[in-house]
Amino acid sequence: MSAGGDSTPPAPEPSGEPPGSTAARDARWVADHDSATRDDTPALGTRGEPASWQRAAEEAGVELAKPSWGDAGWSYLFGRDTTYVGPEPEPGAVAAANRKMRSGAMPEPVQGPMIHAPVWTWEVPLYFWFGGVASGAAFAALAADLTGDARSARVARKVALGAVLPAPVLLIADLGRPGRFLNMLRIFKPRSPMNLGAWCLVAFSTAGAGAVGADLLGWRGTARRLGATEALLGCYLGSYTGVLLATTAVPLWARSRVFLGPIFIATATATGAAATRLTLAAAGQSEDHPTHVALARLEAGAILAELTLSSVNERRLGRAGEALKYGTPSRLFGAAKTLVGTGLVLTLFARGRARGTAQNAASVLYLAGGLAFRFAWVQAGKASGLDDEAVALTARAKAGPGAAARGGPGSRAVSEDRRPVTGAGAAKAMRAWSHTIGRVSLAVERVINARR
Amino acid sequence: MSGTVAAPTELAIHRVGARRMGFFTDTTVCIGCKACEVACKQWNDLPADGSQFKKGGSYDHTGDLSASTWRHVRFVELLEPSPELQQEAIGALPAIPPAGELPDLVAMAEGTGSKWLFMSDVCKHCTNAGCLDACPTGALIRTEYQTVVLQADVCNGCGYCVPACPFGVVDRDPIDGRAGKCTLCYDRLEDGLEPACAKACPTDSIQFGPYDDLVGQAERRVAELHRRGVEGAYLYGAGDEPEHELAGGLGAFFLLTEAPERYGLPAEADSPIQENVLPATAAAIGAGLLAVSGAALAFATAGRRRS
Repeated sequence: MSAGGDSTPPAPEPSGEPPGSTAARDARWVADHDSATRDDTPALGTRGEPASWQRAAEEAGVELAKPSWGDAGWSYLFGRDTTYVGPEPEPGAVAAANRKMRSGAMPEPVQGPMIHAPVWTWEVPLYFWFGGVASGAAFAALAADLTGDARSARVARKVALGAVLPAPVLLIADLGRPGRFLNMLRIFKPRSPMNLGAWCLVAFSTAGAGAVGADLLGWRGTARRLGATEALLGCYLGSYTGVLLATTAVPLWARSRVFLGPIFIATATATGAAATRLTLAAAGQSEDHPTHVALARLEAGAILAELTLSSVNERRLGRAGEALKYGTPSRLFGAAKTLVGTGLVLTLFARGRARGTAQNAASVLYLAGGLAFRFAWVQAGKASGLDDEAVALTARAKAGPGAAARGGPGSRAVSEDRRPVTGAGAAKAMRAWSHTIGRVSLAVERVINARR
Repeated sequence: MSGTVAAPTELAIHRVGARRMGFFTDTTVCIGCKACEVACKQWNDLPADGSQFKKGGSYDHTGDLSASTWRHVRFVELLEPSPELQQEAIGALPAIPPAGELPDLVAMAEGTGSKWLFMSDVCKHCTNAGCLDACPTGALIRTEYQTVVLQADVCNGCGYCVPACPFGVVDRDPIDGRAGKCTLCYDRLEDGLEPACAKACPTDSIQFGPYDDLVGQAERRVAELHRRGVEGAYLYGAGDEPEHELAGGLGAFFLLTEAPERYGLPAEADSPIQENVLPATAAAIGAGLLAVSGAALAFATAGRRRS
């Protein structure tokens, strides 16, 4: 502006090259948002502390449903003298327009993103596998007890306990805020498979630890009863993971809703039986022992059931099944099927002296195949969630002729009837429990953060 | 919200006299200024998501709703029509004008079937909310305004709500670790203020108010647009017959002019848990009991063969 025109303006700072790939973009995004550099100080309150929502004045009454809702009167742009809105429409006209536009031709291409793909990482499928092994071993323990083989039952109960021990560690590691893991038990919410599963895991591990403890103390009756409880809980622990996936908007999982639980329990039975059989073999049990024979049959039968259910399911998936056919999920499913298929061949055709070794190899293959199946299902769900067209088509299929069969309000869980918990004592106890768990969670998190 | 049958209770705040509040987003008057996005970020203290033109050639640099983006003006660009449409339109393309004359861009755009639509997307605050049904910790609750709010001091970042939302709204913040989504400015409502986005919207594309009043206003708007010849105008999430409702009716609903998939919205939606949890659990537990019986059978027959 002023004199001294000889000084040239400084060259502008380079604004930065655009990232070359999606991965580079994501990396840059995360780097830009690093918690060390990002200012995430809350405007009110302390980070990690509860609720900064407070009344402007203590004890201030909130005036609800004011005619003009505070300053939110209808726009000055569209007053009574303008034609933003016309007179009341004919009854049913709007509903008809909605129906027409929502059931017309589906646009090509669908302009996503439609839904968010699951954010779960490797801990989750690994947890599915461990939980499955534990459930399957609990089934084997119950069956061994029922046929009077107390020694094998004891071993199977130890396998079940050993397999369930890593489960909580994996589940906690997967959380976005691991310090708050206890909040999973803050409430009891049967509607949420994850909440019910967390409670089931607690009950299963408690029963399992109790059963092994009773075994060590020589309390046979108690051990048997706890083992039976464990097996019954295992019916849910081994299958709820399938329910958990089925109750999402991911097309592949939602369309497989009645198959996922059975498929997962079949994998659980096979891997649990295989782990038990290998443990018994390592403990020196002869391959002609009836328990050994029974476990070999059980694992082969469960794998056959798994493969049958999977192929029936794949056939009825339609467009939602595309996610199984390409990329990582397809490779994982292929590997899983090859592994368990080889195992089946070994089980069925090995004869003579090599039979014991072949059967052991088959059990290892079932365990590995089961693990591959778990990873394949989770990976396929991620791919399916990103498949905008599959999401759109699956949603449209709900309006089809089968819609009535999905059931009216009578046959499903509805959220229309909201009522506070009745009974002052129960409500008070539940509130105290939730409050305590929430407080403990925050305290744990504070300790972890302080250590860092 | 009537009914006398005891159903699984939802976690909810009850207050006598509170009415359902909601958003009516009228896309026909949206100009894509993204003031709502900025207002939302400012009021809710949300970090920037970086500003990059994502998704192959779109002018929308936000991309998607996320844990730190609770309002997102979606740009629906039909500037590059499908090959079929291009094929159809080739005959109608205006000739390239001689040098010195300006081409008639509007005519060219019309000839290729181009359109540019904006829609300020937000959490739908569903009547049957998938995220609310999924949440295992009780972090997600229903407020007295029938909105769905996430309590940030409870959420442990399990990630279940993310795929449980049929609209792709709620997400988990990769840095913070918790889920995040629109609260319909619960804190502002408590003090009688309208949500920040509605306050900021310069064309009143985003309207806030008592739900019933909003639906009435929206239906009259649809009728007005029909009268003016915009035949494609319809409501997404309100004004339906009960059997066609989206997730039981959306607390934040939209006036759209194209098929819902153009805006990344599903044509039908409901809480995945309410749809699937009963058959899925029945099948799962049934199969579990079958597996136990199978194990018992395998042991029984193996034992018998030996003896």
